[in-house]
Amino acid sequence: MHQEIAGIQNLEQGVSLSQDAFRRLKKNKMAMIGLLVLLFFIVIALLTPWIAPYSYEGQNLELGATSPSLKNWLGTDTLGRDQLTRVMYGSRISLAVGFIATAVALLIGVLWGATAGFLGGRVDAIMMRIVDALYALPFTIFIILLTVIFGNSLILLFMAIGAVEWLTMARIVRGQVLTIKKQEFVEAAVSMGLSPWQIISRHLIPNVLGPIIVYTTLTIPSVILLESFLSFLGLGIQPPQSSWGSLISGGVESMEEYPWLLIFPGLVLSITLFSLNFLGDGLRDALDPRASKD
Amino acid sequence: MLNVKNLRVLFNTRNGTTVAVEDLSFTLNAGEVLGIVGESGSGKSVACYSLLGLIPMPPGKIESGSAEFLGQDLLKMSETELRAIRGEKISMIFQDPMTSLNPYMRVSDQLIESVLQHKKISKKEARQRAINALNEVGIRDVEARIDDYPHQFSGGMRQRVMIAMALITEPQLLIADEPTTALDVTVQAQILTLIKKLQKSHNLAVIFITHDLGVAAQMADNIIVMEKGKLVEQGTTEQIFKAPAQEYTRKLLSAVLTTSKPTPSLAEQTEPPFLQVKDLKTYFLQFGGALVKRLVHSQKAVDDISFSVSRGEILGIVGESGSGKSTLGRSIMRLVDAQSGKILLEGKNLLKLSASDLKKSRRDFQMIFQDPYASLNPRMTVFDTLAEPLLTHKLATRKNVLEQVNQLMDDVGLDRRFVRKYPHEFSGGQRQRIAIARAIALKPKLIIADEPVSALDVTIRAQILKLLLELTQKHQLTMLFISHDMSVVRYLSDRVLVMQKGKLVEEGETEALFIAPKEAYTQQLLAAIPKI
Amino acid sequence: MYLFIIRRILQSIPVLLLVTAVTFFMVHAAPGGPFSQERNVPPEVIKRLNQRYHLDEPMWQQFFSYVGNLLKGDFGPSFKYPSHTVNDLIVAGFPATFELAFYATIFAVLIGLIAGVIASLKPNTIQDYIPMSSAMLGICLPSFVLGPLLLLVFGIWLQWLPVAGWGQIPGDKILPSITLGASYAAYIARISRGGMLEVLSQDYIRTARAKGLSTARIVFVHALRGGITPVISFLGPAIAGLLAGSFVVETIFQIPGLGRFYVQAAFNRDYTMIMGCTIFFAFLIVVFNLLSDVILVWLNPRLRQQVGGGH
Repeated sequence: MHQEIAGIQNLEQGVSLSQDAFRRLKKNKMAMIGLLVLLFFIVIALLTPWIAPYSYEGQNLELGATSPSLKNWLGTDTLGRDQLTRVMYGSRISLAVGFIATAVALLIGVLWGATAGFLGGRVDAIMMRIVDALYALPFTIFIILLTVIFGNSLILLFMAIGAVEWLTMARIVRGQVLTIKKQEFVEAAVSMGLSPWQIISRHLIPNVLGPIIVYTTLTIPSVILLESFLSFLGLGIQPPQSSWGSLISGGVESMEEYPWLLIFPGLVLSITLFSLNFLGDGLRDALDPRASKD
Repeated sequence: MLNVKNLRVLFNTRNGTTVAVEDLSFTLNAGEVLGIVGESGSGKSVACYSLLGLIPMPPGKIESGSAEFLGQDLLKMSETELRAIRGEKISMIFQDPMTSLNPYMRVSDQLIESVLQHKKISKKEARQRAINALNEVGIRDVEARIDDYPHQFSGGMRQRVMIAMALITEPQLLIADEPTTALDVTVQAQILTLIKKLQKSHNLAVIFITHDLGVAAQMADNIIVMEKGKLVEQGTTEQIFKAPAQEYTRKLLSAVLTTSKPTPSLAEQTEPPFLQVKDLKTYFLQFGGALVKRLVHSQKAVDDISFSVSRGEILGIVGESGSGKSTLGRSIMRLVDAQSGKILLEGKNLLKLSASDLKKSRRDFQMIFQDPYASLNPRMTVFDTLAEPLLTHKLATRKNVLEQVNQLMDDVGLDRRFVRKYPHEFSGGQRQRIAIARAIALKPKLIIADEPVSALDVTIRAQILKLLLELTQKHQLTMLFISHDMSVVRYLSDRVLVMQKGKLVEEGETEALFIAPKEAYTQQLLAAIPKI
Repeated sequence: MYLFIIRRILQSIPVLLLVTAVTFFMVHAAPGGPFSQERNVPPEVIKRLNQRYHLDEPMWQQFFSYVGNLLKGDFGPSFKYPSHTVNDLIVAGFPATFELAFYATIFAVLIGLIAGVIASLKPNTIQDYIPMSSAMLGICLPSFVLGPLLLLVFGIWLQWLPVAGWGQIPGDKILPSITLGASYAAYIARISRGGMLEVLSQDYIRTARAKGLSTARIVFVHALRGGITPVISFLGPAIAGLLAGSFVVETIFQIPGLGRFYVQAAFNRDYTMIMGCTIFFAFLIVVFNLLSDVILVWLNPRLRQQVGGGH
């Protein structure tokens, strides 16, 4: 009995793969900077209605477009509206589209891919055929078609973008599930008499989580990009609302005289994309099973 | 011819610097075969690769030393100078002929390439040389096959192509890095004979890197034993095997299994027999066709096999790759579905159980897998791994499960303090111990061990085999032991089944079968074991 | 091989049919679409629409006659411009778009492959970091930011290159092609680096080095074929993105291409034009996917044998 307690006191705590991965991520400077910048942008976007220096609609036609100054840090646009305020409100839309549409893609993609991979056989063949067929469709063009037919609304945009992005997610998840399903530890779990649900929850999901997190992080920037692309063409977010894409579009019109109207929204968009991509790459390096072997 | 002095090679990894080779010196004369023997991580390959500048640098770094080859120091040569030596004076063959040939290039192009690189001859002459070289290594019908791609050859044939490619420039030194490890025993025997023959006829010097003492004994004039980057012992092959001076060499030699099973058989006859397999057929069928389902391909992995096992018996199942031995094990485990037949465990047909009955019955038969890296869930601690089966089958409660897990840790010789650690924090041998603990956790009646030691180093292998013997005695286990390695099977089993291409070739008491094999195939298998 | 190509072509037919059906029925479902008679459309157009689409017939018959016309290469009349057919607009716009996409692809593949291969030869050194951070820049600077910036710097401030047009002033094709190709060059650089690193770590590269071959021969003869495989499988689907990208680039640089027509048609709600263009684009994408699949198989001797039925 005494020995028993002594044994427990000397227990050596293990380091799990995810702890290990997080430690590696923390060492990756670019990824950590990306994470911090991203968190900063998110907090600003959330607090915008309370901390924005001017009101969103507030015009000052007499003022017109002015270059950045102490009063208007990022200058004003041709209608005399504060650029910083407009970029802050634009961030709310762009980030919201980015996160919500990614969530839609994540939900459909993971369910679809995991079902196909886990069931296998004919079901898998049919489900993946559908994905292959959809892959061949010109989706960006379809989204434009959709907006033309049903008008522009935020909800439609979320759904449409989510519906495009889930395909790759489904492929990745299915591939992962298939690989892990073949691993001997899953066979061991089967031969121990575990139920399918126990196998999925304890052995499959924890092991596919890594790649899903990585791909999700990399999907957000491509969603943001797609929304900005549509808004730039005038087919996405409609006035009076604005997103980074529509601000850039406005900036292009007057860039010869007032380049800051193009440069600042473009900068914020690019910095966000940088942060997300660096974070995604960092996560991938940190979670790479090949890296954790040595 | 080659004189290596004080070679020291470092690897800079993210966890710091490791010394791969430490102060290694040896000499090699023309026409001599030098065996370099060691377990994984001994630095035997790194040492040879670094001579030719073939280790990735960085992270690798040749810190100091010299390697005089025909009067020139290889380590001081520029990349261009080395290139003139590589493939021209010193050629190499590698472990896996599957991955070592470029899958995108025709065999002829790959052969000609090295001749054209080093000799000033025409393409036509080079092709003629390639044809001669392939003839010499025993490829049949060379003219027709020379323009094939590597994937159109079998494993053994590919290794012959590799050898032809190495010798086509008529080098003076051949470095062979585990050239037969990826091959079946009978093929291994052929390749070894071929290398030996070519070595004699070309008066080649050969450095033969291997983990297998038997292979080294058969091939080498002199032997170097390495451990953890250091030279442990060197001498003539006879010295090393007859009178090893160092403790580690003796340990390696004692790990080579040449003996029969050290413990008596515990088999007890019952009626009906403990496990009975009757007319078992497992076919892998592949269907295709867009509209009408049609059979594209069928592989008879297990083709009409019957045998029985007594309680407490250890039955060895041997065969080469593709013999269906693993599929047989998996069919009994119900991990793959059998086409037809019966599997009666204590009279109960496992193939007829309902899903829920099967789940309950699974505690009676458990499996130990080959690859200890893949058979443990990397995201579960040892404790979770071992507690899972106990809790699933309600053999323990949350409260007293730790006690049982600790008991299991003791059983397989692991320190109790490590229960909260994850698989990646253990060595290969320790992981296999965890896998064994998991298999015996449910106190099963039958254990199926599928090549449980073939991924392990020899010294570790000996420990694990001993552990398996102990556990079968202690827990009165019946075991099916599946392996390609005849000597391991001889050491462990009471009785042996020999399989080939899905069929049962021969069956018998282990010693009787090893001493007087009846079937030609069994004789061939036994003859192929390298003798020490 | 031929069998494989034929099978692959047959597989594309349902995809094209699906695109046509989805597009057709979506446009039909559009409130106030071209097929509802409540709209205030010039009577001559109504007449032509009726003639063309047999609006009095059931919908599935209309669909089949539309598909029938498509098979004859007839996309029907424009909904907005009574004097034009969709074919006219495609013929007028497609050459510029095709040329733009072609130059952009050449730029992307050249720059991307060179950068990727260079980076892969010395991973985690300055020779890797510089091309790869430029690639990151290319990915994070979308064409609608990069284009205006290039225009501002080289067109307006430095005045080195023309700011708009296509084929009128020498050099006016440079900025649009770079704008459209930049992000693809970046992706190709990253993908080819990854592919090359994978291949360069293979055993057969070690064999090639052990044979004493030169670095150039190892890279170009032994590694490149396997290394560019992922680039080729990326290129097929990338064409879809490139076409969509041309919408933005043609708008920014005021190029009279199909992309610009398409965006204008979207604003004008020129339904027949949108429908025709969508199907036309889908057709192009299917063709390029097919091409990249065929090249992939052709590059890999093992696959070539498999699809040929083995021997």
